[in-house]
Amino acid sequence: MVGYQGGSMEDFTALYQALEKPLLRYLWTFVRNATVAEDLLQEAFLQIHRARHTYMPPRPVKPWVYAITRHVALMYLRSQRRRRESLAEQDLPEVPVPPAMERIADRATVMRLLRELPRAGQEVLVLHHLLGLSFDEVGQIVGVTAGTAKVRAHRALKRLRQAIEEEGGRA
Amino acid sequence: VSRDGLPAELRRRIEADLEPVRPLPPVWRRTLLVAVVAVAVFAVMLALIPLRADMATIPLWLSWGGSALQLLVGLLLIGLALREGVPGAGSAAGVIAGVATLAVLTQALVGFATWRMAPGTEPIDRPVHVGMRCLEHDALLAIPALLITLALLWRALPVRPQTAGLLGGGGAALTADAVTHLLCPVSDLQHVLVWHCGAVVFLMLLGWIGGTIWCLRGRR
Repeated sequence: MVGYQGGSMEDFTALYQALEKPLLRYLWTFVRNATVAEDLLQEAFLQIHRARHTYMPPRPVKPWVYAITRHVALMYLRSQRRRRESLAEQDLPEVPVPPAMERIADRATVMRLLRELPRAGQEVLVLHHLLGLSFDEVGQIVGVTAGTAKVRAHRALKRLRQAIEEEGGRA
Repeated sequence: VSRDGLPAELRRRIEADLEPVRPLPPVWRRTLLVAVVAVAVFAVMLALIPLRADMATIPLWLSWGGSALQLLVGLLLIGLALREGVPGAGSAAGVIAGVATLAVLTQALVGFATWRMAPGTEPIDRPVHVGMRCLEHDALLAIPALLITLALLWRALPVRPQTAGLLGGGGAALTADAVTHLLCPVSDLQHVLVWHCGAVVFLMLLGWIGGTIWCLRGRR
């Protein structure tokens, strides 16, 4: 990141390559549409570029990048709400499911039930369980304490497990 | 999409503007800049305008101590506002609510203690007129600190601009009222609670509006 602030295109490319997929997954939790998520990814990287002077070494890069990406997604959602548009939901092909979750349900079921969770819990769950960020980092991105992030993730995971069990019961 | 996975349009736009940038100074240094301005306003005003007539009856810890407390809490709010300018470094929602409450409480407590120790020089015959003058005084004194805080914020990227503006407005109001506390001759509790606490709320609102304008400008 320091090299990129110094004007290195190679360092920007490395940052893009390292973060492209996780950011795409994160954006998908907001828009649930692969095409729009990809457009927003470009917008997020442009915003990252415009705000690159706000990154202060040696702070961790991830919370900074994810917070900007979240900002881009929320701005998009607000503008979409104003225009009263809705998007067709599409799965993002690359979204993986952690092995722990795959043991209790298949990928499609987990993704479908994840979609039905409230956005706040879903976001924290995705950031921590799917993208591997610590609760401290999640708190910094979402603007809550690490403890609150943990509670949200715990509640969301509990609801997800309950939903999976109910599905199993029905089956 | 090029071989390295970078979309061509993104690559073009990044390459067109790839000048080296200097990272923002740490929050404490930017807060110090606002502190210098706030203290300069404080010093100039106290040099120009005579202190309140009942100054001798108020204990030192409450007169100068109260002002110092207001100044410190104000700068704390400004520091938190400036932190909002760094994505991923903002405070948790609970902290912000707590600090905004602390700002109004500090104002109310200093006013209450002053009223208990020195219950006013004379009755006010036109409370609204006097109150408006105090509100105007606080707002005018707060403007330099508020403008610098907002300018520093807009140079960064506040992802919650309204929150940042609200904190900046509250902080600037408290630094301004640190001066007014030593000048305003009215200790009447109603006057302090309505007009001096009102000034804090008013400037918080002003900062919030500033944040909203910035947000709308960014969307266009």
